[in-house]
Amino acid sequence: MNSKYILAFETSCDETSVSIIKDGHTEIATVVLSQIDIHSKFGGVVPETASRAHIENITIVIEEVLEKANMKIEEIDAIAVTYGPGLIGSLLIGLVAAKTLAFIYNKPFVPVHHIAGHIYANNLVKPLEFPLIALVVSGGHTELILMEEDYSFKYIGGTVDDAVGEAYDKVARVLGLSYPGGPVIDKLAFTGKDTYDLPLPMDDTSFNFSFSGLKSAVINMAHNEKQRGNKINIENMATSFQNRVVEILTKKTMRALKKYDVTNLIVAGGVAANKGLRDRLTELCNENNINLLIPNINYCTDNAAMIGAAGYYAYKMGRRFDDILKAKPTDVLH
Amino acid sequence: MKYLFLDTSSFYINIAIISDEKIIYNRSVLNSPKLSESIFLLIEEAFHESNINTTDPGKIFIVNGPGSFTGVRVGVTIAKTMAWALKIPIVTLSTLELYATTEVEGKFLIPFIKDRNDYLYAGIYDNLLNNYMEDRFLHIDELSQKLSKSNQYVFVGYDEIDTAYEVIKPELNILKIIGKHLDDEIIDPHHVNPNYLKKIDAEINLEKKLNDSKDK
Repeated sequence: MNSKYILAFETSCDETSVSIIKDGHTEIATVVLSQIDIHSKFGGVVPETASRAHIENITIVIEEVLEKANMKIEEIDAIAVTYGPGLIGSLLIGLVAAKTLAFIYNKPFVPVHHIAGHIYANNLVKPLEFPLIALVVSGGHTELILMEEDYSFKYIGGTVDDAVGEAYDKVARVLGLSYPGGPVIDKLAFTGKDTYDLPLPMDDTSFNFSFSGLKSAVINMAHNEKQRGNKINIENMATSFQNRVVEILTKKTMRALKKYDVTNLIVAGGVAANKGLRDRLTELCNENNINLLIPNINYCTDNAAMIGAAGYYAYKMGRRFDDILKAKPTDVLH
Repeated sequence: MKYLFLDTSSFYINIAIISDEKIIYNRSVLNSPKLSESIFLLIEEAFHESNINTTDPGKIFIVNGPGSFTGVRVGVTIAKTMAWALKIPIVTLSTLELYATTEVEGKFLIPFIKDRNDYLYAGIYDNLLNNYMEDRFLHIDELSQKLSKSNQYVFVGYDEIDTAYEVIKPELNILKIIGKHLDDEIIDPHHVNPNYLKKIDAEINLEKKLNDSKDK
């Protein structure tokens, strides 16, 4: 069979990214333009600013990826794009630019769910083995997904309030740390001690998560210490907070693997770059004979390579946009 | 030479195909928040009805604002991507200048789009599309102060507005604005962007904060 090349777009949040992927597993070229410097001034992503930056960069990024790959759009077999979830104004730029090219060159136009992309980022490292459970953790998502075969997704559980990455950002802000909060807290957590008595959030038999209570506990504790005139120990708070997060994530993940009798675990999303989480999962998977797959750090954050990988399977399964072009900011994975 | 004209910036989506300086296709439909869902159906129809291929346009005229931020972005993304891919020239046009193509005799035109709290986007043009006040975002009182008592003005826009001057609805003349900008300097599609004319609140607040801390 001839190789299939997917030109993929990802603009769901604050990264403008375009990639060319061969056969769902080989990266030909990827360009990611991060807006993190713009948004860090505001302490978080400003949706209108994000859309403005996407439109300024989109054609530059497309041109760069084609130059890097030394390919022409005519040589591409299909165009794939993240249609959701994400920020509507950001999604639209990628969708509209991708659709314009699909329209001009009459290429199949394939919708990809952002989370499917995060999961398939792992396929660029090693072919996925089924059945598997995916723990998707990022600034916008905290989900457990069961996959029995390619491009079939069963939702087992997820956050009922804040996403885990979001909780990191908010806690970082309370502690006076920079945005994004994940990497900073992760680093500090390795230097402190678990001295603060924070609750283990939503420690029940479900596969759902809740991080809003844990975040509030940190805020309250910081507030109380301040009232008493005590300085909060930031390192120790980082360690205490991260330990609770890692404990609940790993506890429910390991239980899901057992319940569904699955021995393959993949981790996806920006928080998969968290060293505390990576270390603990590696340890637990070794103890329990689970094959653990965590993508390289550059595939953990939002990028179009993962959309190209997922897009290949979506393309093979015949998934296409119908005539209307719809961004779905809150669509669930199916 | 065939040109594509596209305007998704405000109240109506306007698509036209121009061939040898004649309009061979022109359609105007009410814009909606679901613009992205309908725009490609409309563009496909335009190409189909005027019997041209997707790779045929030799130049693109895009209305890049002011107007609805999302509306402008959808149109500009299509236009800059198409111009880049087909390696054809792209010309940006002002939404307000487009309104000013409305035929009015012996008066200055004030094309406008109303925003919140008595603010509006407005410019001042004559009926040859010469510009007398650059398009800008301003309070209606500030605009009134700029108007000379010795001149006659007519406001051109779709919104209702509280003014002593005559207010008329735009009657667009696409050939007029294209004719005026046919030989505009060629811009690299990478540099074609919306002309919002208005900063976003988060940026204004941040600037204020930075200035305040500088003062201290």
